[in-house]
Amino acid sequence: MQTSLPEAFTATGEGRRAEAILRSCVHCGFCNATCPTYQLLGDELDGPRGRIYLIKDMLEQERVDPVAVQHLDRCLTCRSCETTCPSGVAYGELVEIGRNYQEARQPRGLIERLQRRWLLSVVPYPRVFARWAALGRLAGPFLPRRLRKQLPARPVRRPPPEEVANPVRIVLLLDGCAQRLSTPEVNDSLVELLAALGIRTLRVPEAGCCGALALHLGAASQARTAMASVLDSLSAHLEEVDAVISTASGCGVTLKDYGRLLADERESAAQAAAFADKVMDVGELLASLDARWRRALPVERIAVHVPCTLQHGQRRGDLPAKLLEQAGYSLVPVADGHLCCGSAGSYAVLQPELAERLGENKVAALTNGEPELIVTANVGCQVHLGALTKVPVRHWIELLAPEPG
Amino acid sequence: MTDRSDALTEAVQNARTAGQRVLIMGSGSKRFLTRADTDPGDRILSTEEHTGIEDYRKDELVVTVRSGTPLRTLRQVLGREGQMLAFEPPEFQGLGTVGGAVAAGLPGPGRPWRGSVRDSVLGVEMINGYGERLVFGGQVMKNVAGFDVSRLQSGAFGIFGVLLRVSLKVIPVPQTERSCVLALDREAAHQWMIRMSALPVPITAACWLDGQLHVRLSGAEPAVVRAARHVGGEQSADDGFWTALRDQTLPFFRSIGVACRYVPPAAALLDTDELIDWNGARRWTQRSPDQVPAGYRRFGPGYARDRCRDAGGNRAVAEYQHRLKQAFDPDSLFNAELTDADVAA
Amino acid sequence: MSEPRQQPGTGQPDLEERGAARTRKRALKRLQSLLPEHCLLTRPAALKPYETDGLTAIRERPWVVALPETEAMLAGVIQICREEGIAVVPRGAGTGLSGGARPLADGVLLGLSKLDRILEIDLSNRAARVQPGVRNLAISEAVAEHGLYYAPDPSSQIACSIGGNVAENSGGVHCLKYGLTVHNILGLTVLTFAGDRLEIGGPGNDPECLDLLALYCGSEGLLGVVTEVWVRLLPVPPERRVLLGAFPAVAGAADAVAAIIRSGLVPAGLEMMDRLAVQAAEAFVHAGYPSDAEAVLLCELDGVAEEVAADARLVERVFRDFGASAVQTAETTEEQARLWLGRKAAFPAVGRLAPDYYCMDGTIPRARLAEVLARVSVLSERYGLAVANVFHAGDGNLHPLILYDANRPGELEQAEAFGAEILDLCVAVGGTVTGEHGVGVEKLGPMCGQFSEAELNQFFRLKAAFDPRGLLNPGKAIPTLTRCAEVGGMHVHGGRLPFPNLERF
Ligand SMILES: Cc1cc2nc3c(=O)[nH]c(=O)nc-3n(C[C@H](O)[C@H](O)[C@H](O)COP(=O)(O)OP(=O)(O)OC[C@H]3O[C@@H](n4cnc5c(N)ncnc54)[C@H](O)[C@@H]3O)c2cc1C
Ligand SMILES: Cc1cc2nc3c(=O)[nH]c(=O)nc-3n(C[C@H](O)[C@H](O)[C@H](O)COP(=O)(O)OP(=O)(O)OC[C@H]3O[C@@H](n4cnc5c(N)ncnc54)[C@H](O)[C@@H]3O)c2cc1C
Ligand code: SF4
Ligand code: SF4
Repeated sequence: MQTSLPEAFTATGEGRRAEAILRSCVHCGFCNATCPTYQLLGDELDGPRGRIYLIKDMLEQERVDPVAVQHLDRCLTCRSCETTCPSGVAYGELVEIGRNYQEARQPRGLIERLQRRWLLSVVPYPRVFARWAALGRLAGPFLPRRLRKQLPARPVRRPPPEEVANPVRIVLLLDGCAQRLSTPEVNDSLVELLAALGIRTLRVPEAGCCGALALHLGAASQARTAMASVLDSLSAHLEEVDAVISTASGCGVTLKDYGRLLADERESAAQAAAFADKVMDVGELLASLDARWRRALPVERIAVHVPCTLQHGQRRGDLPAKLLEQAGYSLVPVADGHLCCGSAGSYAVLQPELAERLGENKVAALTNGEPELIVTANVGCQVHLGALTKVPVRHWIELLAPEPG
Repeated sequence: MTDRSDALTEAVQNARTAGQRVLIMGSGSKRFLTRADTDPGDRILSTEEHTGIEDYRKDELVVTVRSGTPLRTLRQVLGREGQMLAFEPPEFQGLGTVGGAVAAGLPGPGRPWRGSVRDSVLGVEMINGYGERLVFGGQVMKNVAGFDVSRLQSGAFGIFGVLLRVSLKVIPVPQTERSCVLALDREAAHQWMIRMSALPVPITAACWLDGQLHVRLSGAEPAVVRAARHVGGEQSADDGFWTALRDQTLPFFRSIGVACRYVPPAAALLDTDELIDWNGARRWTQRSPDQVPAGYRRFGPGYARDRCRDAGGNRAVAEYQHRLKQAFDPDSLFNAELTDADVAA
Repeated sequence: MSEPRQQPGTGQPDLEERGAARTRKRALKRLQSLLPEHCLLTRPAALKPYETDGLTAIRERPWVVALPETEAMLAGVIQICREEGIAVVPRGAGTGLSGGARPLADGVLLGLSKLDRILEIDLSNRAARVQPGVRNLAISEAVAEHGLYYAPDPSSQIACSIGGNVAENSGGVHCLKYGLTVHNILGLTVLTFAGDRLEIGGPGNDPECLDLLALYCGSEGLLGVVTEVWVRLLPVPPERRVLLGAFPAVAGAADAVAAIIRSGLVPAGLEMMDRLAVQAAEAFVHAGYPSDAEAVLLCELDGVAEEVAADARLVERVFRDFGASAVQTAETTEEQARLWLGRKAAFPAVGRLAPDYYCMDGTIPRARLAEVLARVSVLSERYGLAVANVFHAGDGNLHPLILYDANRPGELEQAEAFGAEILDLCVAVGGTVTGEHGVGVEKLGPMCGQFSEAELNQFFRLKAAFDPRGLLNPGKAIPTLTRCAEVGGMHVHGGRLPFPNLERF
């Protein structure tokens, strides 16, 4: 597509990337077809092709119009459009540039600012979040039903298994921020699972949020701080581990992207790239093992919800179904698997209406085949969907047990 | 094999100058659908001498024919090359011209599977009411340049002008054809048709009459053989029934008169003596002209007028048909009996 | 003889402009009270992304965008525009490649994307009634569980709307055997600009009126807004097989196409891609297309197992006879889907090779394929612009994609001149300037070469029968005589006007 970005902008690294991405879009509109918000709203401005155009116009005119802000805000960053795009347009990266541009130039209204600041100062910090959660539980009866259901329940922790002697591999497991509070049982059970396979798991509690949330919200500098701190707290262990694992695909996708995200940081660029190379989704780790799987839970019919960050972000959406089938579960067909459930990081908080509609559609698709259990691969989706359906929602790895021998 | 285009154009222009209306006529074989009898005062414009196959590209599956060419001639020429017209136009005792077949737009028994007349029309050359010669469409399968005036001519019974030549898509004659006859009552036959239409079976005609369901299968040998086993019934390779159905020489049609209705194929059966054609989409009943039941159209005088002028009773559409006629033929030069209030049918 | 209507563009411009401004103000008020806020876009920034469709070289920002959510709202918009004398441009999914949905600066862009419901699936009549904004592919997806599908599959089927398909009479990779849109729809409901609601046909086979259904197919939104479509559903064939032939020369592949058609076989699809197109598609789908072939033919056969097997043997023999260096067969559904995905995504995938492409759409007699392709490659060298060829070979419908870079001054104009030469060539060998993408505004020039003055006048009168004031999608599909006079003049000196501003009729 033709572009005419101001030279001052294309002189910057971001500007060059933006131009290259914009020009690679040929405006065919294929991506609209798989965009969750376009499917709901039917307005070009709420589809990727329109958003790309809005960003192009904003960068060309050097003016941030509220229209552009509104419609970029509505984007889930699910990157379904990237999977669909034949021309290889890096939409995720472009929208990040667009959001940073907006945040840097256009102050939001007070309420929005407070909301975003609250999100950024609470969710990434488990201790702070825990306090809010406790408060929330106290205030529970007064909160709207949906919000109440989304609050993390009081965590039930399991004692860690004995440390694996002579491990076949050593992996570093990141506990994330929100996940640590909402679904700590996921990582606990992974540690057990890996131990049974002779894999030692290292956990570094001081490693905080990966920065994904700040990235979503266009808070570039805060994101960089978070990423730097993760690198800092992990650098000492990096040598000794074979892989860095996350069970939240939303974190995984960001961690894998550290090399690009920090490419401009003179000091940490190389370290970030080396780190990113070691990051694996838990599914990739499990699939790479020479293990045979059996069912860990006495259920038959499973519906799989593949998080966007796994299927569109990491392009490994095939893994959960593959391993669950190997373990002997029967998977019910789920329509429109490519569509986002509406959780999308802070989206459920900032765009509650759309998030709820997407969530309801998703639950309808997931429960259509009458599964006993829904599984997913990201904490955000798990909590979001859990609040919308009576069918229990779990992380898929909780369903796996290694076949002995 | 003469090209009478210039003479026909001149005739139209003369009629126009003289303020005279004309009746376009091929061989006159479907005259019975337009009017009971010809008025001696009619000025008849006959295409009968305007004959000849101008261009036959069998590798391209296209043939371009002058409108007065007898259907039978075209059929023979195509047949020699193993090809045929997909829409199987009726032919009566060797009568019927290509122009008339296109203008009347009456497809044969294969309609639901092989398409209607217009589906085979790729292009036309015609004379409009201004006496101008116009070419629309072409000789290629796909063409969206300009409005699709050529397909509009099919079934318009000549009200927009005189067709001089038409380009038609042709298809290969199927490798094998087989007919099956099953003894079924009407209701069961109808249900059978509905069921089969959802299955990938190479049916190319299905008709129920007098307690018998007739099914035609066409295509590659193995497919037809297998389908014939599936369908069952009494089998033959003879297509006599289908030709007779097409040309309306079955005794059913040789009675007091017939009327038909076009319906969704699964529509409920109404009349006890209905013949079911087109897999359910066309139903025939035997009625004398003054007893045609509601919803049916008499297949006789008035049939063409009902379509061209009244749009089968759809008033909004009829209004636009009238305007369309004006756009091509403002002085109502052609076949006014089909469109004009002041000309009796 | 009545002349086509021309825009009365004369006299006191000031007065006229002020009058127009007043009218627009009043019309806007009325639109605002008719439509909820999210259904009417008026801010310049919101209008901008609507300025173009799949052909980005042609752009114009609309006055406003109306996005009705119901048929009643749609009728209201038409009524207001009729009463206020404001032009309306319908738009489906905006994937058109000829600028058919290009807006007008003083007109309403009528987006139909919110009308996206499947209203009725009539299994016993194998038909479905859908709103115009329903995506082509969504229909097949909705009926898949019943073993049925909607046959026409334009490469853009994932995104394009059925209303747009009707307006363009779209074809697809399977229309060789199953026909174009016109052959696969059973009925239409249309709202004319005068406000009449025309119901034409339905789930039965034959409308009992003149064939307005066929007339509406390919009418590019000039005769009315399609508000409902009855589509025909077909049973999914029991067996499908896709053969891929890799050819060391384009000519060999082209001749193989002609030979297959000659053999009497009608494949479900027969498509060609040349080396560049293959390269682009492979980068997207990783389907294992051969990278060293100059041309690849994809041939799909369907039917019962025995028939498919026999046909496959024949096709393979033809491929080999015409020099195919390799023939692969995709038998599993997944393999086939990948091959088709690559083919269907080939246009946009070409975006990986160059920032912009200009897609041509001429149709030619199949016997002339080799000759025309050779000529195109000579032109490609002369213009210094690469061409990727990916097209419906079985139908003789060419889609040379001229690669260029719109950021380089002059390249678009070069691409256009090159394109015009290709279309001239198509007409010269007995073909047409557009097989399925429509004339839009892009091919108005080439239309002048294909139709005479009398024919164009007939088109105008036809248009006027439906829309006497010429306010529905004006300036599209049919060039004015003045324009043709200009283009003709230009043509003598070689080259064409690149998308000049168009008069409206
Ligand atoms: C069920 C059925 C029954 C039939 N029964 C009979 C029957 O009993 N007897 C019979 O003779 N035929 C019958 N026919 C049809 C006929 O045999 C063929 O369809 C044939 O093609 C008619 O051509 P024609 O030249 O005789 O048409 P005509 O009867 O001459 O003309 C038919 C219409 O087309 C118009 N027309 C003809 N030529 C042109 C032209 N060049 N340009 C523009 N308009 C033109 C005429 O004005 C007229 O309105 C029947 C068809 C069907 C479907
Ligand atoms: C990558 C790519 C591949 C393509 N491949 C093919 C192909 O294989 N075959 C093919 O035929 N086309 C193809 N196209 C072209 C395009 O997709 C088709 O023309 C399609 O039918 C346009 O549909 P749309 O909904 O996007 O219509 P739009 O582009 O929005 O509009 C097209 C025209 O239809 C009119 N229109 C739209 N909706 C209505 C309505 N409801 N009532 C009246 N008028 C209306 C508009 O005014 C305009 O004139 C391709 C396009 C792209 C980008
Ligand atoms: S699919 Fe890709 S090239 Fe096409 S419009 Fe979307 S982003 Fe652009
Ligand atoms: S990231 Fe998701 S929501 Fe955003 S434009 Fe792409 S598909 Fe739509």
